[in-house]
Amino acid sequence: MALIQFEKVSVSYGAPSHPVLSSIDLSIEEGEFVCLLGQTGCGKSTLLRLVLGSEQPCEGRVLIDGTEHDQPDPICGYVPQKYSLFPDKTVMGNITFGPEVSEFNLLTRLTPRYFRQRREFRQQAMQYIRRIGLQDADAGKYPDQLSGGMQQRVAIAQALVNRPRILLLDEAFSALDPGTRRDMQVLIRQLWQGTGVTLVFVTHNTQEALQLGTRVIVLARETPNHGSRVVLDLAVSSSCAADEFSRLVARLDSAAGSTRESEELTPTIGGATPHDLAAAQDLLPNEI
Amino acid sequence: MSACVSRTSIWKWQRKADFEEKMGGRFQLVHAKPSRTAAILLSWFLFVLGIGLYVHAAHKRHQENAEDRVVPTIPHMLHSTYEAAFRPAEDDEPTMGENANMPQRFLASMLWKDTKASARRFFYSLLLLIPAIFLGLHMGLFPYVGVFFSRFVLFFDKIIALSLLPILFIAVGIDELSKIMLIVIGVTPTIILDTFNLTRSVPQEQVVKAFTLGAGDFDVAYRVVLRQIAPRVLNSIRLNLKAVMLFLFAGEMIASTDGLAYRIALLRRHMGMDVIIPYVLWVALLLFLVDMTMRLINRKLHPWFREA
Repeated sequence: MALIQFEKVSVSYGAPSHPVLSSIDLSIEEGEFVCLLGQTGCGKSTLLRLVLGSEQPCEGRVLIDGTEHDQPDPICGYVPQKYSLFPDKTVMGNITFGPEVSEFNLLTRLTPRYFRQRREFRQQAMQYIRRIGLQDADAGKYPDQLSGGMQQRVAIAQALVNRPRILLLDEAFSALDPGTRRDMQVLIRQLWQGTGVTLVFVTHNTQEALQLGTRVIVLARETPNHGSRVVLDLAVSSSCAADEFSRLVARLDSAAGSTRESEELTPTIGGATPHDLAAAQDLLPNEI
Repeated sequence: MSACVSRTSIWKWQRKADFEEKMGGRFQLVHAKPSRTAAILLSWFLFVLGIGLYVHAAHKRHQENAEDRVVPTIPHMLHSTYEAAFRPAEDDEPTMGENANMPQRFLASMLWKDTKASARRFFYSLLLLIPAIFLGLHMGLFPYVGVFFSRFVLFFDKIIALSLLPILFIAVGIDELSKIMLIVIGVTPTIILDTFNLTRSVPQEQVVKAFTLGAGDFDVAYRVVLRQIAPRVLNSIRLNLKAVMLFLFAGEMIASTDGLAYRIALLRRHMGMDVIIPYVLWVALLLFLVDMTMRLINRKLHPWFREA
């Protein structure tokens, strides 16, 4: 059974109703790294919120491990583009928040068991801090004392420390500079390989989707009055050559109707240009 | 080509800026940086000017009429302040001799007695604002609580609290409760609505994220949202301190037997400006100290919070 299953899912907003997604049928297996691709406003984030359970479909149903979820729960980890960390908590506080609230409520936090266990949570968090490439001294820093890239690293660690089965990243790297973005791509790939978590990664960067995912799903509207549908569902080989990569980029761009956007975004991928796709080869998943 | 053009235009702009600087050209006031000395002098200027004008007016009036009570002289005010701060309250039995030390005499004085009475009402009122914070938090976070209370609180907020004073006096009498109720009724709706709006301004991503990390409803309320809005709620209370004092003074002036405002109202009948002015300044100083303490507490409790 697929871990995430969309059955004829449609979503509309407002009155008169404005369709966002139309009859989405999709299944995602455990352990996949799925990149959701599409133009701005095509419903990628809506699809993610449906998986999260923070939004419900108007038609059809979304099954997570065979059951419908009507509210967010710890089966999914979530890393949004903005506001990904709690500003009032330090790096350590952000990472230990999940284990602490899962084990202790407001009253049981006053028991000696909490103080014993808190030491374990902190040790575990420290391991994650090192694993995501931060220093021990960063543990006491508040989010506004960290760079954008460091904040997203902590947000990923915060989501992973609870060992969710699904990790959802909503344009988590889009506000980062090219160098940091590349580091983050390497990190997320390593963490995915290390944890075996099912990863759904929303992006509108074609090359990023191809470099990271084992599967790329493209959402697009056929006409402006219709909701988005899955127009392309592509399994990505980790050993594709530069010319194959180039062909895939063109195919995905044309499916998403985002050729111009892709060209604009191209320099953000490790400095590769459409005329120098061989340079992008060193970013391919098999090299990471 | 475009890089070349833009470099040329930057160079031209730089040359123009250098030229304007040399020629003492346009000066943008927005970018002025007062020196430390200038900042100190300018910030104290209005205080010095105010005191100077007062001294001048007092001097003039006392030249015309040596018994003038409307604008008392500074030495006269200092003498009255000393009397208020270091002589036993007139309605108290003298319990200490002339050789009691200054702190003892201050603690038995009229000023201290009035300050204590007003401060007690003030802090009871502040304590009663705590439920308002929790109500606003729950209204903002839990839709059913919001729907249940929001219309009522919005209506309640529009009632002029002072217009309720006669009703309060009739319903609960003229003792402490009516004065504290007046403050609570006057300020509570503002605090509830402010907390409600602050709660609603917490990004939805944070709430969703907390749930994905295993938090329950009350974890989200108290460990995520309340902690994030706490410094802003404290600021909101700080900004409402003056309103609290306003209602406190209104209550004390109309029906009280002690308190700072009672004393001011009493002395008004005797034209006691030599005590009224120091009392007004004393209240301002106390309020300033409370405000400063709250700001300090806010900074210590929430080191992550940067005020805009």
